[in-house]
Amino acid sequence: MACHERMEDDSGKYERIVHKNGSSYHYLKISLEFEEDTSIRLNSAQFKQLIISSLKQLFGEIGAALPFDVLQFEENTLSAVLRVYNRDLVKVWSALTLLGSYQSEMCAFRVQQVSPFLLALCGNSRT
Amino acid sequence: MVRFKSRYLLCEISFASPNGWQHVEEKKLHRAILEAIQKAHGDFGVACCAVSFAVKYLNTYTGILLLRCRKAHYRLLWSTLAFIHQLGKKETCAITCIHVGGTIRTCQKFLIGYNRQQLLRKLPTCKSEAERTALQEAVRSCTLQELQEDVVSASEEDSN
Repeated sequence: MACHERMEDDSGKYERIVHKNGSSYHYLKISLEFEEDTSIRLNSAQFKQLIISSLKQLFGEIGAALPFDVLQFEENTLSAVLRVYNRDLVKVWSALTLLGSYQSEMCAFRVQQVSPFLLALCGNSRT
Repeated sequence: MVRFKSRYLLCEISFASPNGWQHVEEKKLHRAILEAIQKAHGDFGVACCAVSFAVKYLNTYTGILLLRCRKAHYRLLWSTLAFIHQLGKKETCAITCIHVGGTIRTCQKFLIGYNRQQLLRKLPTCKSEAERTALQEAVRSCTLQELQEDVVSASEEDSN
């Protein structure tokens, strides 16, 4: 009842907008770790090809055709920022999880951060 | 009551060459479709569909094929059928899905109506009077058979 009265009074009028799916993309901050120290170096194209090959193994041709982008790639640390559509997030993330090796060297993808907003990946939003 | 629900895909195969039919068997088809699922949908697709996948019925004269799949993943199988373009190494073929049913009986009911339609479609293309009368007789006889089958199955259900 009190809520209703507040609404009728002009000075307290408010409007609340809620965005359920604020962004149509999800951003993943990932890095590729090799089990042993190797001299293997990848460029961004090879990195993307590695992810596509993992998608192809797990989800076939249709999975390998899922559109995603490598927004940023650092060769020294082998870390990258990926952008995927919301509906593809689960498939891409599971393909990253299940990748085991590259050129017969054991490796793993570490997913450090996932967010629907790119700004969240650049810093800690709590400080 | 909990039970495994399936979807039955009633499909039609057509071959590019008329002698493609000799090599078609249920086991070969089963393997070919699983390979196509592996290619199109990967390990995930095969794991989903292969559990309850079976080639239930194959008619090499009319090209009718009945596949069974789990209810949750029948769309995976359906989309893979579009990618199948050869069985083995030689025969180029195409598979189209004409009906999806929950039980074999519904698929059979649809197939009876579909076959009747196909026979009627072939009527104008008959070349001789004998062919035409034979075709008309076939259409009439398949109508009668449907009624008899229903009566028989109804009496079986009653006795059970």
